[in-house]
Amino acid sequence: MAENETKESVPERKTQKPAAPDAVGRPLRGLYGKVNISVKTLNIVIIVLASALILSMAFGIANRGFVVEFDSLGGTAVESQKRMYDELVEEPKAPTREGYVFDGWYLDRETIRPWNMETDVVTGPMTLYAGWRAP
Amino acid sequence: MAEKEKMKKIGDILLNNAMYIIIALAVVYITIMRPKFLGLSSIVNVLSLTAAKLPIALGIGGCIVLTGTDISAGRVVGLTACISASLLTTTFKVFPNMTSPAALPLVLLLVIGVGAAVGFVNGFSVAKFKLHPFIVTLSTQLIVYGIILIYLMNGVNNGQTLSGLTDGYRSFVTGALFTIGGVAVPKYVLYAVLLTALMWVIWNKTTFGKNMFAVGSNEEAANVSGVNVSRTIIMVFMLAGIMYGLTGFLDSARIASANANTGLNYECDAIAACVIGGVSFVGGIGRISGIVVGVLLLQIIFAGLTFLAVDPNLLYIIKGLIILTACAIDMRKYLVRK
Repeated sequence: MAENETKESVPERKTQKPAAPDAVGRPLRGLYGKVNISVKTLNIVIIVLASALILSMAFGIANRGFVVEFDSLGGTAVESQKRMYDELVEEPKAPTREGYVFDGWYLDRETIRPWNMETDVVTGPMTLYAGWRAP
Repeated sequence: MAEKEKMKKIGDILLNNAMYIIIALAVVYITIMRPKFLGLSSIVNVLSLTAAKLPIALGIGGCIVLTGTDISAGRVVGLTACISASLLTTTFKVFPNMTSPAALPLVLLLVIGVGAAVGFVNGFSVAKFKLHPFIVTLSTQLIVYGIILIYLMNGVNNGQTLSGLTDGYRSFVTGALFTIGGVAVPKYVLYAVLLTALMWVIWNKTTFGKNMFAVGSNEEAANVSGVNVSRTIIMVFMLAGIMYGLTGFLDSARIASANANTGLNYECDAIAACVIGGVSFVGGIGRISGIVVGVLLLQIIFAGLTFLAVDPNLLYIIKGLIILTACAIDMRKYLVRK
């Protein structure tokens, strides 16, 4: 800290010149070569950014829950659900479609990968698709 | 006066470590809300994710030490993932004439070669044309993306996701290294540890590593003292390219498939991890241990937020804010020291 104190007056100045040579006479380098901000202003910027970061995390936590949508692919509409991480999906009332028999929910439109309501848990937002077969 | 000095000192410490403090508080909060976050399976999950993202960050770290960056990283990962998935498969869609999967070491050499080739183009353009790495790697990013799309249209694949990987390939990458408490630790954790050790030796114990830091901190001075600046820059980018190639090789087996979106935005995570880990954009400053910590912290915070079921869309905003805050803190350290 002791060596900082002697140089403190330089960065504290409001009208700091960009690319001013440092104590050894080398110019400021790298992507910070043209930094044009005083430490005081930068402190405020850091506090604002950190607050924004905390606020966005808090916003995310306040609105937590993954939305599980149900696409009945031509059948009657099924309401979406909000589930937490690692939770089971609550089995909705089976949709109906004229001329078809409902045979469960699938992870993909092509109804190849089935979703098991008893064992599969939610790990993110998703859409489940209804599987239909001829009666 | 002494009181004021003390306050200033505390303020300095708080500001310089703001990122770590926020992440620590978030982890504490997440653990209180969901104690399972500190469970064994969750810890292994975070460690595996860290291992998966580590090689690419180790590669980009070198570019940042040179005051540059590399935004082609994610696409190189995508291309090498697609190459691995198309050759080490049981359904030969990209090369319909193939009858058996390619040999594993051959594919490994191929992805290293592809990564090194892209890295060479990046490094050559940065070293010889004196272009900013952002522009150079932006163009290679686009070129590599075009190559991925065309590659995936090859044969009878028609741009589809590649899957049906061979068991040998999958078990080589995701097979259990060992099992603790019923939770398997995948083999790629070991590979990440080996690559980290290798990079540590390269950065700290070789002439090339010392030259890299010399060029990063002052190119002219390095040149005057006899360092071949161009060759160092080219080699740093090639080494980074090799790391992306290996990441692609591991990633396609880890995810069990590869498509045109594999690797998308990976460079953002890697750059963020490096900045958090103290690899400074001022150049010539950075440590391997810092990168490891940076990747780990990022994975902890994102695994934690996912655990709390935070909307993944919001994670992008949080990621961006983390990069910006980390850069501001890094800049502050430099301005105060100056």
